[in-house]
Amino acid sequence: MVTEHQQWLAQLEKKSMEKQEQFMNDIASKLRRPRQRHAPTQPFRGAPDFWTELEWDEEKRIQAFTDNFVSVGAHIARVQNMEEVSQFIANKSHELSAKYIIRQNEQALKDLGLEEQLPDVQISVWNNQADENWRARAAEADIGVVMADYATAYTGSVTVLSSPEKGRSVSLLPTVLIIIIPVDRLYTRLGETLNRFDEAGRENLPAGIHFISGPSRSSDIENDLTIGVHGPGIVYGLIMG
Amino acid sequence: MKVSLFITCLSDAIYPRVGEAMVRLLAAHGVRLDFPPVQTCCGQPSYNSGYWDETRVAAKTILEAFDDSDFVVCPSGSCTYMIHHYPELFADEPVWLEKAKRLEAKAYEFTQFLVQVLGITDLGAHFPHKVTYHPSCHGSRLLGVKDEPMALLSQVKGLELVPLPFAEDCCGFGGTFAIKMSDISGAMVTEKVDHVKETQAEVLVGLDMACLMNIAGNLRYRNEPVRVMHLAELLYEGVRTG
Amino acid sequence: MSQPGVMDTTVKERAGLALNDDFLRKAVKFTTERLRNGKKSASEEHGNWDEWRERGRQIRLHTIAYLDYYLNEFVNNARANGVHIHFADTSVEAAAIALDIAAHKQASTVVKSKSMVSEEVHLNHVLESAGIEAIETDLGEYIIQLAGEAPSHIVIPAIHKNRYQIAELLSKEAGEILEPDTTVLAGFVRKKLREKFLEADIGMTGCNFAIAETGSMVLFENEGNARMVSTVPKTQITLMGMERIIPSWTDLEVMATLLPRSATGQKLTMYMSGITGPRRTADADGPDEMHIIIVDNGRSLQLGDPEFQELLNCIRCGACLNACPVYRHIGGHAYGGTYSGPIGAVLTPALNGNIDEWNDIAGASSLCGACYEACPVKIPLHDMLVYLRRRKVEDGHGNKMESMGMKGFAAVVSNSKRFSAAIRLGQIGQKAVVRNNGISLKLGPLKGWNNYRVAPSLAKKSFRQQWNKLDQELNQEQPAMNSSVRSRMEQIIREREEGEDKHGH
Repeated sequence: MVTEHQQWLAQLEKKSMEKQEQFMNDIASKLRRPRQRHAPTQPFRGAPDFWTELEWDEEKRIQAFTDNFVSVGAHIARVQNMEEVSQFIANKSHELSAKYIIRQNEQALKDLGLEEQLPDVQISVWNNQADENWRARAAEADIGVVMADYATAYTGSVTVLSSPEKGRSVSLLPTVLIIIIPVDRLYTRLGETLNRFDEAGRENLPAGIHFISGPSRSSDIENDLTIGVHGPGIVYGLIMG
Repeated sequence: MKVSLFITCLSDAIYPRVGEAMVRLLAAHGVRLDFPPVQTCCGQPSYNSGYWDETRVAAKTILEAFDDSDFVVCPSGSCTYMIHHYPELFADEPVWLEKAKRLEAKAYEFTQFLVQVLGITDLGAHFPHKVTYHPSCHGSRLLGVKDEPMALLSQVKGLELVPLPFAEDCCGFGGTFAIKMSDISGAMVTEKVDHVKETQAEVLVGLDMACLMNIAGNLRYRNEPVRVMHLAELLYEGVRTG
Repeated sequence: MSQPGVMDTTVKERAGLALNDDFLRKAVKFTTERLRNGKKSASEEHGNWDEWRERGRQIRLHTIAYLDYYLNEFVNNARANGVHIHFADTSVEAAAIALDIAAHKQASTVVKSKSMVSEEVHLNHVLESAGIEAIETDLGEYIIQLAGEAPSHIVIPAIHKNRYQIAELLSKEAGEILEPDTTVLAGFVRKKLREKFLEADIGMTGCNFAIAETGSMVLFENEGNARMVSTVPKTQITLMGMERIIPSWTDLEVMATLLPRSATGQKLTMYMSGITGPRRTADADGPDEMHIIIVDNGRSLQLGDPEFQELLNCIRCGACLNACPVYRHIGGHAYGGTYSGPIGAVLTPALNGNIDEWNDIAGASSLCGACYEACPVKIPLHDMLVYLRRRKVEDGHGNKMESMGMKGFAAVVSNSKRFSAAIRLGQIGQKAVVRNNGISLKLGPLKGWNNYRVAPSLAKKSFRQQWNKLDQELNQEQPAMNSSVRSRMEQIIREREEGEDKHGH
């Protein structure tokens, strides 16, 4: 059964598709040529050639990532394995007197055993049941724990992809954000991660691809830097491996 | 070899010593400049304000004056750069367009001519003073004149070059801008002179009399004893007295 | 607020206000210097900046040249992702569509992240007139919204406000006195807006770039509010200028390299988000319904215009504002439109198609070219300002006094005899007013000049009056040209004839 709302959306879509032809035809006519219907050859695509040759070894990648991340007020810890990650999170949780933690619903994060380590802390697992207001759970969390899908040394950024098990809110709403960065996911250039999305193709992209390069900040008040405006103000990157 | 002087209307009417310095300096190196009197003005004032018909009137005197020169030397980056607009101005007039393209290829700002064409950076000048340098906008940004004046200044014996804070900021002249938006222009030149004062230099040197006239005007208004010179004048004095 | 069309005050008058506002001038100067230095360090550290700029320029030029293809691809792909696409020819249409959606969702609150296009279409005003609360969530935009003012800088909208003014505004919202301390003030805003994010019906964003090949939109920000408004509320509406397209994610690397460094000197903004459609069915956050309104509002007027098509390359970084000496002295409001600084001076008349009514905004420039030098995609704004001035004259709207003056100028420079005569006349006439080789008279055209300067007098003898004497004197002593210098010059002439000479620009 089609709701009124859906009917209205369908109407708008019809209007939009008509308008689309008009819009594009208008562009072509202003450019004084017929419509361009197939992909033109891009004379220049992506970064300059010399840039794609930039490749750092693991040590340099880790150092560069660390320097960049720390320079914007985030923190870095070097850990060997998930046990150490678990320990780190537990310690931080005690240090910050955290009451609520939220983590993504990934096996690797389940294996951290945070529930055992921190019995007095309420630990939510993103979307592990229906009928829960997950945005609110994330908003009330003191700490959010996520695993980076990719990371970029040159800019000091991590990339997280959304999915049913990985909420965008988990890396956005809590006060503190802890990101686990497996070192084999740490690349040199931004393009190395970005190109994957071209390769994957439209249908395979998640709704949210988020590059995070440090804590939330603003200098809007008299150019005075303040950290933690809307997103997490305290960010830890755990480089693991 | 016909090497001609494009004097610019400002130097012609107000600062003839700049032209004289250029002519004498180059003569000492065996380069005799000639002066085709047909030239009047490059046309910048009307061009910048959008009056292109009037600009063409001025431009034609320049094109005519230098039609058979091999090299044209000019003591102003902005006037030299103006020539690069001539092909656009005469796009619909093939005879003038041809002259414009030829002139574009042979016109040089003074320091460009010395360094790029003659290959000279040391004129044997001695100028034992504290000097600061203002790079004019059109010359440095649009004509690309950056290294040449530095090369020349570095060879002047006894000269102490003090960097001008925010040197690349516009002095506020902009031609008719200084008249039409006089308060904004006034604010800009005041700031420029504040920076000149910070250097405590005795001399302000530059490559464009439009900028220098503007800055000198404010210096004088504020009773500041800084001497304002075109680089040609500085080099010539340095050679004559040194 | 900005109003397209005729202004009741002139640029000069508004600039005058700004010049007399000491705090504003200090604040603008401090901000632009900080951002300018940031850009300089970041671009130098990165290296090969000019090559990156050229790359950015080429990618944008190509995309705009084939905009019918790329925009069409974007639309089709975005629709395939589940996005509802709308087209708005004018600002009125854009606001109306947004209002229509909001009304259908029975929205009472809309939370907005930074969108210059939403300012352009006066969206907040339209929403509020319909009884819908529209809340700006970018810290600077929130502040000026409370103050009822327009942004004065593309990137840092509230630089014209000091912390005491901000504390006063926020204290009123808080219902208690807040200290004029950045941490306290920002802390209040975080808390206050957090509630709004969670309860809002609709989140609205702008769009930095739209990727044609996958129908994705990209947002750059530092605060996290753009992510908030595109993750938490159930409906998302995005306003997008029709020219914000790039072909691929690969091309995004170039933009992500140029934009943050040019805007603030950062390697990357704290958050860069690529959104590809509304939430997937099994996702537990992200909007259920996503709309993108593609706005023309004068952009298509630039297509096919060889003098202004490049304007559409703009990536709205604000580097030109930070480089502009005029902007530094008069701030953003003096420009009178949504966009300020050099880009604003060209965009406003270009989008509105009415240079004549924009009261000399194109005249508020000394044409120093700093904007062109700063622009990461090499838009020749300094040339465009001259084109605007020329079009105003060609349309017959040139200033009458100035037109007369220019005719006089043309008469004088038309030939050297007239020119010489004019100089001679001047030399005689000035005697009455010259003191010590200077003219301080503040009359007529000299008034503006001599309010800040002592004008020079004409030389007693012009260069051309002295030439013959000088020429003859030099005929006496005449060192020959050095032979290596001669061969250099001859070589240059040869290369020139072969078309190889590349001096000058």
